[in-house]
Amino acid sequence: MNELAIKDLLYKLADDQLILGHRNSEWTGFGPILEEDIAFSSMAQDKIGHSLAFYTLLHELGESEPDTVAFTRNANQFHNSQLVELPNGEYDFSLIRHFLYDNAEIIRFEMLAQSSYEPIAKVATKLKGEVKYHVLHANTWIKNLGSSTEEAILRLQSSLTEALPYALGMFEHSKYEQELIDAGIYGGEEAVKIKWLKRIQAVIEQTALKLPDLESIAPKFGGRYGEHTEHLQPLLDEMAEVFKIDPTAEW
Amino acid sequence: MSLKSLDPRVNRLNLPDGEVPAMEPKQELDQFETYEAFHQKKDGAAFTYVGPVHAPNEDVAFLFAKEQYSRRFACVGLWVIRTEHIQVTPYGNDGENIYDTLRAAQPTEQSEQPEPYEIFHLKKRGKAHTHAGRVMATSYLEALQEAKSAFGEKGPVVNIWVVKSKDVLQSAEEDKDMWTTIPEKKYREAIAYKVMDKITKYKEENKTTAQ
Repeated sequence: MNELAIKDLLYKLADDQLILGHRNSEWTGFGPILEEDIAFSSMAQDKIGHSLAFYTLLHELGESEPDTVAFTRNANQFHNSQLVELPNGEYDFSLIRHFLYDNAEIIRFEMLAQSSYEPIAKVATKLKGEVKYHVLHANTWIKNLGSSTEEAILRLQSSLTEALPYALGMFEHSKYEQELIDAGIYGGEEAVKIKWLKRIQAVIEQTALKLPDLESIAPKFGGRYGEHTEHLQPLLDEMAEVFKIDPTAEW
Repeated sequence: MSLKSLDPRVNRLNLPDGEVPAMEPKQELDQFETYEAFHQKKDGAAFTYVGPVHAPNEDVAFLFAKEQYSRRFACVGLWVIRTEHIQVTPYGNDGENIYDTLRAAQPTEQSEQPEPYEIFHLKKRGKAHTHAGRVMATSYLEALQEAKSAFGEKGPVVNIWVVKSKDVLQSAEEDKDMWTTIPEKKYREAIAYKVMDKITKYKEENKTTAQ
């Protein structure tokens, strides 16, 4: 078992969920209608819970406490994809990101539930039902709004075009890609991407939206290796604002 | 006066200073229609009414109902019904059986073939309607009569809801894992956080200085 490879995988999973969970939580109190505000906030909370589960596995492998890992690292120490750190924009962008992200996340969780590394398999099996709801939520909205008014379709289409290079960045290979695949720990990013494309195509086909040719899009890579947009550090500062007042406080 | 929020998200909205222009008058009844949600606490238990949601359609109502009504408690299944599709009998007083006061009347609309109807009983005022069972009938009225002979004699029943089974959106069997993930979500309730002990301790420690 290659511990470095497993840690790298766990950091990527945990950081994606933490950063998107935090971003999505920024909608709390600002959602378009009350029920959607509750649903979106609740899913944000799920994601932060998932990140805690993965940080806990990292802690068991010798990394620092989950709170320390979440609140005291700088942007260049985060392994999340750039997609999840982008500002929320308007609701159309947040929904498109949610759709592109969670349709990949469910594949990761299903794969990880079969992982040869048992601690990951257990966590993924326990939590994948929640991700399944996140996907149902995203797909239902995209199907409904993507075939509704002209404004909704235009907004979603433009957000889709804007988000796709970053979405493709989610599938950046890690240093340990082949090792993880060979050890049966994780199916690897190429396999996730192929399944993801099928999933998002199946939804988009039911709408008036058009999926641009992905071959012509340059993915925004770098996130998995600590290269981030200007938006991540301010997010981290805000997220850790209270924690940093007294890092030793008991909660 | 310029307002500054303690919430950075509000400040980021760059709301204009000064008088807020009046909102354009809204159309009357511009809200989404309502749907009623029923949850199942564990396998085999009867579905019980939990509350309404506003939604543009049934699928979205289901999404909302799930997070609104199952995020804190154990729940293994959910039904969603458009409010308009629920037929309601008059209310009786506690201890009465409303079935006894129902008069046999001629239904105004009847289907050619019998179809399934779901029956929900309210056993006591202030409680929630609970699924009592399913009957086959050609109209809502006939469904009530069928329900009375099938399971209406045991009383008390103070109110009855009747719904055509085809109007009930039911969570799918293959999505069972969506519900069973984490059955108890106490961490989502304030009571799960033992802050009172800490507040009391803080007060104790600062008693003299707080004067």
